[in-house]
Amino acid sequence: MSELSFEQAQAELEGIVERLERGDVGLEELTTLWERGEELYRRCAEQLAGAQGRIEELARRLDAEGGD
Amino acid sequence: MKVEATIVEGRKVYSVRAFNQGVGSWLQRLPTVWVEGEVTELRRQQRWATVYFTLKDPGSGACLPAQMPRGQFDALRLDLVDGERVHVYGRPSFYEQRGDFHLRALSIERYGLGAHLAALERLKQKLAREGLFDAARKRPLPRIPRLIGLVTGNDAAAKRDVLAAITTRFPPASVLVAETYVQGPRAAPAIATAIGDLCARGVDVLVLARGGGSFEDLLPFSDERVVRAVASCPVPVVSAVGHEQDTPLCDLAADVRASTPSVAGRLVVPDVAELRTWLDGAHARLGRGARRVVERHGQRLASTHERLRRAPVLALERREARLRTTQARLRALSPRATLERGYAIVRSGETLVREPPAAGAPLTVEVAGGTFGAVAE
Repeated sequence: MSELSFEQAQAELEGIVERLERGDVGLEELTTLWERGEELYRRCAEQLAGAQGRIEELARRLDAEGGD
Repeated sequence: MKVEATIVEGRKVYSVRAFNQGVGSWLQRLPTVWVEGEVTELRRQQRWATVYFTLKDPGSGACLPAQMPRGQFDALRLDLVDGERVHVYGRPSFYEQRGDFHLRALSIERYGLGAHLAALERLKQKLAREGLFDAARKRPLPRIPRLIGLVTGNDAAAKRDVLAAITTRFPPASVLVAETYVQGPRAAPAIATAIGDLCARGVDVLVLARGGGSFEDLLPFSDERVVRAVASCPVPVVSAVGHEQDTPLCDLAADVRASTPSVAGRLVVPDVAELRTWLDGAHARLGRGARRVVERHGQRLASTHERLRRAPVLALERREARLRTTQARLRALSPRATLERGYAIVRSGETLVREPPAAGAPLTVEVAGGTFGAVAE
């Protein structure tokens, strides 16, 4: 799972949600899939927050360097 | 004519006058011919009976003094000026009093412009057929040139104009200047060589600049060697030769034609202020773009997560609904529903009664509300 890129994780998460919403999932599988989905969400959210943080940091640094 | 000589100390000696007469009479036997040349040093004055000028060969520089009676000259109404090419019909003549040799003109015809124009047109057609002027050949100028090549005359106003326009718009520009002949017979090969030299020294755009001049002055810029050098130049060429109305052939072969040297200068470099504005704008857009991407991903993720949260409940509700449907269908199949509609089940003992029973037989009747006993009649 650690090899998954943001896009891959996002695609898998959306696949899981679609399957769950269609309802063609066994009861046992339901819990497994849902847990997997939550894990994927957490990873995506972390990566997004990381990217956002880097962008803001870079912008601040550039502003501090030259004021332009 | 008989030229008299005297014998002095055993030598045959001619007087100057006799000698000149001899040369003069000999020259007179030469035929009348057409001579082609450029008119220079034209001297015509109202009080002179004769018009004097010099015929010059533009290629070799060879000169021939010529003269014509003023009345005849004026009658031709040529309004000749220095530098024009003419055909002079005349014969050699010798001014015996001064020992001067000249061409005595009987007639003068302006030659050149028409002939030059026709030759130029033929060259233009030929080069056009080869595709040298095709629009598809035109290359865009580099956005920010690293090294600009400038081919121009020495101390020409054109050079100053180009350099001023370049440095005003884009102070950090680097320009390599090749000063060369820009008119006369040596100009064409010199310009072609200068173009090659600048390219070899790594320029990435080339400006060819010359101020205005006469038709003949600009001829080198229509020379096949120059036109071919421009067309085969490995980097884009901006041509600014002559004035707006002049179209030397090098203009047609160049990638961009500028109406004046200043315009050429402005064309080859970006405006540093505009560049700065563009860069600032691009920088701002970069920041906004990056933030927007993160934002969009965030929204999409949030909505997916929302759906994920609802999904198990939804899945369970679906199953429950399916169960209820199944139960309803099961119910519909049981006799109970039939009894509800007013039907009864009649039993004799444990057996379902399907035929009329014998009279007096004891029966059990089941209806929706319950069971009661009955006797057959």
